[in-house]
Amino acid sequence: MTDPRAVAPLALEVTRLSKSYPGVNALRGVSLQVRSGEVHGLVGENGAGKSTLLKSIAGAVPFDSGSVRVLGTDLVGGNPRQAAEAGLAMIYQELTIVPELSASDNVHLGDPPRRFGVVDRRRVDAQFREAAARIGLQVSPRAKAGSLSTANQQLLEIVRAMVSERRLVIMDEPTASLGPEDIGRLHAVIRGLRETGHAVVYVSHDLDAVLDICDAVTVLREGEVVESRPAVEWTKPALIRSMLGGVELDSAGAGESTTTAGDAVLSVRGLRAPGVRLDELDVAAGQIIGVAGLVGSGRSRLLRALAGALLIDEGRCEIRGEARTWPRSPAAAWRLGIAMAPEDRKLQGLVLDQSAAWNIALGDFSGAAGRGPVTLDRLGAGVRAAAEAMAFSASRLVVAAGTLSGGNQQKLMLARLMNRSVSVLLLDEPTRGIDIGAKAHVFTAMREIADSGRAVIWSSSEIEEVIEHSDRVLVVAGGRVIDELPPRSSPHDVLTRIFDHQRTHDVHSTDGEPAL
Amino acid sequence: MTTALDARPSRFVRLAQASRSYGVVIALVVLVIAISVAQPSFLSFPNQMNILSQWAPVAIMGIGMTYVVITGGFDLSVGATYALAAVVAAAIGQSQPPVVAFSAAIAAGLVVGVVNGFIVTALRVNPFIATLGTSLVVGGITLAITGNKAFIVAFEPFTALGRDRLAGVPYSGILVIVLFVIAGLVLAYTSWGQSVYAVGGNLEASRLAGIRTSGVVGSAYAIAGLTAGVAGVVTASQLSSAQASLGATLVFDVLTVVIVGGTALSGGRGAIWRTAVGVGILATLQNGFNLLDIDAYYQDVIKGVIIIAALATLDRGGARHLRRLLAGRGPSH
Repeated sequence: MTDPRAVAPLALEVTRLSKSYPGVNALRGVSLQVRSGEVHGLVGENGAGKSTLLKSIAGAVPFDSGSVRVLGTDLVGGNPRQAAEAGLAMIYQELTIVPELSASDNVHLGDPPRRFGVVDRRRVDAQFREAAARIGLQVSPRAKAGSLSTANQQLLEIVRAMVSERRLVIMDEPTASLGPEDIGRLHAVIRGLRETGHAVVYVSHDLDAVLDICDAVTVLREGEVVESRPAVEWTKPALIRSMLGGVELDSAGAGESTTTAGDAVLSVRGLRAPGVRLDELDVAAGQIIGVAGLVGSGRSRLLRALAGALLIDEGRCEIRGEARTWPRSPAAAWRLGIAMAPEDRKLQGLVLDQSAAWNIALGDFSGAAGRGPVTLDRLGAGVRAAAEAMAFSASRLVVAAGTLSGGNQQKLMLARLMNRSVSVLLLDEPTRGIDIGAKAHVFTAMREIADSGRAVIWSSSEIEEVIEHSDRVLVVAGGRVIDELPPRSSPHDVLTRIFDHQRTHDVHSTDGEPAL
Repeated sequence: MTTALDARPSRFVRLAQASRSYGVVIALVVLVIAISVAQPSFLSFPNQMNILSQWAPVAIMGIGMTYVVITGGFDLSVGATYALAAVVAAAIGQSQPPVVAFSAAIAAGLVVGVVNGFIVTALRVNPFIATLGTSLVVGGITLAITGNKAFIVAFEPFTALGRDRLAGVPYSGILVIVLFVIAGLVLAYTSWGQSVYAVGGNLEASRLAGIRTSGVVGSAYAIAGLTAGVAGVVTASQLSSAQASLGATLVFDVLTVVIVGGTALSGGRGAIWRTAVGVGILATLQNGFNLLDIDAYYQDVIKGVIIIAALATLDRGGARHLRRLLAGRGPSH
């Protein structure tokens, strides 16, 4: 069989590309070829070098050695404008639309067609309509971009690439915030791009989506290309094996409690905060309590209220049998042994300029105080031990937290909790945006923490995950716990409970039958 | 302190990092050499000691300002607080022993600082506006009460701090050095000091990590008020008098020494030694200008250029950005 694509011109040719950051070789001689009319998948664990590869190709960061050729143009590196002019359209996970501008203005951002020096509005709109129709985007050119759904905003970026005649489209995690229906739409658009001879690089953690849409898949691990094969030769298990490189996923041991529930470490009574209501909750030592709910159900607010990060209206708690007033600040909660790892690691969790070790110590520098400059040694054995417990590589302890991958940043967050005497750990979406390997580490760590006599309360937007890795599942809607389900319930049970609740309750009512 | 934990992968990277970290020191050394070549008397001991006592108030206020700026804040009120403290010291010093006068003045500065801290943390007013407000209030009160009358204290013990010397070194200079050493150690070596970096680097992360952020930020403003109080005392003692109109533009000198030293206005990065170097640069320039007989108006022009150049080169790699622009490779962000 002769594949016409095999002779199509190369749209992207990466040759022996290397790039290192202080202390880390992010890319080690990566080579990659993508032909016009090909959809090429790129997968790998967090920290495998995917982001660095994309940034190097797009010119967001310069590379150290090797070459990048886009549609026949050799890139100098570190120059996004040259990459764009060569025909590269980079669609980042964080979309780059300007919400206050119209859809069509966004497409022509910075370089609209002009007539007599004035923006030619008719042509702007006409070009938009034409390109939007080609990919089936049904949006008025004058609609405010910020009012569009995430899926449509993403398509807007593709329209932008088409209007500016850029024929190499790189998408970073395009399905991360899309529902199944929108993923189907996106894939239809990508197939259309393939038919018109565009080359697409598709980077994703969603292996099903990758296998569905891609012609070929390349696996990156530790900054190197492990394997590159046509998609038909890949299966999902094979991809996972290749990504992890021999590390076996310990999924069997992660889900089962090995200790019986111990004494109550925390009892919550009558907790009320804006948008949060929790009448009764007893947390026992050794328990992992999962919080399941839809987006906007108030999962985060509930955890933040428990962590003392919200100003609460009223509430009492008992810590190991001792009655206390509710902590008025996270600092007070830490002193009671209740601490939280927030969902947004970059904005709420880490000081990105500072080192990994420093971030583990953040909040309690007493171990490092008064004994010489703040070095790794001075931060103490506790920090090293906590990092080791989280399988965080010791050589990266001195690296700035901002340069780490999402999975490694999450490990730092957990290590911070491990480094101090915390008896109730609140983890808000600890698995968000991290890959399978890092997730396995998080689940293992959660179980180890629980087995050591502490308790974990955690949330995830993936209901299956919550059920599989928790001893108890709290179902949350409208900021309150509406039910508790037994272990091994099905995701279907959870959703049924939520939809039943929505049907029978006024969302805005604050009174009603006791939760739980 | 930020650099203390950075990776040390290669000699080249280390060199690049060092030149970025210690560029201000090189700038100071070059400046000192240039001016002492043009005017050898610059390096004379008496001249150096004069510089030290002249710049003592600005240097002392620079300590508090450095803390505040590292927390990600700003204090525009130090000039007014300084004048208030000077007037309090002189007014009370007319009838009371210097210890009482100085303590009252420093306490007055501390009170203004605590109020600033309260407004910024508890009332959540933007620091720029909050301290602009207190600056007007404090300045206005000081003028209203004194009618800008000069309080003269011709009392020997009162002027000792400002005028007497130990082995040729003015007391005020010794005070500066002692305060800088203490302030530097506190910032670098204490839990509180690291928390100052933490709240400036990421306030919300610090709060959730259990740091009492309001306490840390509030105490930085309190210290800024305290150092303004100490600076006011030094000036009152040096001049053996004080009046409300003192230090109207001093706040800009204080900000300049902090920023030129390389403490980032965006918060989370900086150091006390940087402010010491910043004082060195400004003081050397000013003294050099005077020795070389350069017109005062041009001195301001040159100062302004230096502030902009310092921010462009020290903060966020502005020079590298410019090189890329000139090389026609476009901005990287």
